[in-house]
Amino acid sequence: MTRAFLKQAAAAFSIAAMAACLPVFAHHSFAVYDKTKVLTLKGVVKEFQWANPHCVLWFVVKPEGGGEPQEWGVETTSPGVLTRSGWTRNSIKPGDHVSVEFNPLRDGSHGGGLNSVTLLDTGQKLTAGFANPDKDK
Amino acid sequence: MSHCVARIIVNCLGVTAFGMLGARAAAIQSGPIDPPPTLQDYQALAKLPDLSGVWTPDVGDQARQETQNMPPWTPKIAKQIDHLIAEEEAGRPFPIIDHCFPTGMPSYMLITHNAFELLVTPGRITLLGEGDGNRLRRIYTDGRPHPADPDPSFHGHSIGRWQGGTLVVDTVAVFPQSYLAISESVGVPNNGGMHIVEHLHLKGANTLLDDLEITAPKILSKTWKTTRIYYRTREQKFDIVEGVCAQGYFTEALDESGNAIFKPAQFRNGVPVGSESK
Repeated sequence: MTRAFLKQAAAAFSIAAMAACLPVFAHHSFAVYDKTKVLTLKGVVKEFQWANPHCVLWFVVKPEGGGEPQEWGVETTSPGVLTRSGWTRNSIKPGDHVSVEFNPLRDGSHGGGLNSVTLLDTGQKLTAGFANPDKDK
Repeated sequence: MSHCVARIIVNCLGVTAFGMLGARAAAIQSGPIDPPPTLQDYQALAKLPDLSGVWTPDVGDQARQETQNMPPWTPKIAKQIDHLIAEEEAGRPFPIIDHCFPTGMPSYMLITHNAFELLVTPGRITLLGEGDGNRLRRIYTDGRPHPADPDPSFHGHSIGRWQGGTLVVDTVAVFPQSYLAISESVGVPNNGGMHIVEHLHLKGANTLLDDLEITAPKILSKTWKTTRIYYRTREQKFDIVEGVCAQGYFTEALDESGNAIFKPAQFRNGVPVGSESK
């Protein structure tokens, strides 16, 4: 009995320790996002963090069926890579109406890895790819 | 009078001490020096293939090689790699790059998605990277050998020499903890004794090939050969920018006095929460 209890306690401690140590890293692989799924959401930009190693777009979505506004955070690549794709730190500003296409987090949380952003007021589409220079023929 | 004698003795002691220090300093400085470059040194560089500029890796080719050119892992390491691949496919990528240390060699050349800038100066070639704190490689081309007992480092000690139009680079003394990685989430520490030989050469005006031969006896059953591709552009939008990885752990904020500061970021699901976000 005591032994079983200790085993359960140890397991509980182990789970608690794992929960406390979940990796929350600034620089990471984008395999955390589900590339088999693509979501597109429309919302209003709250903040665009233009910072290394990964820029993050925060926007607020009003659910179609009503309810509380939802805040989503979608991550993309570094300022250096985005600059080569034609972005600037002012490409997206707070208050902009946007349509955001992204690969979602696997657990359904309000986050993902960015594919593209369309600025609804202008129609401009910003993609987040690795822009290779023209290859030699 | 006795005061003067004492003063002379003190002065003599001082001169003697200074002399000893001077001799010691001279001994320290008696090793090899980096000679000041001459006009002829710079003119000689112009006769070499021009590798200078900003080089962007072919990320698509990196991805292809993940499956088409697997390193010859030892059986023990191969099991770890299989597990890491399964974890990556399950959406639980192993954090190889997450610590914000330099990616290190040879992963610097193998998996990074960011560009590097190559500078050519007399006696040295320098690679300035963009991510991971603007990591850098120094490749000495002045004919020096590797040190007899070099201090290990993330990028190791590199010496280079020209063979026709090819720059041959030899690298040793990489930290055992530096990863041999095939992607940002699949790889293992080299565990020591790694030796890397690179042949860098142009293919066309603006395509650079790095033929790598990696010998890592603790993790590979034989030398692994792979080629990485980089493209050069002169457009200024491709210039290297500052890329301090650790910045990702902070957000912009104001302190109690109204000073602009970086404050530790909060994370949610591994994504930093915005400074104004709840």
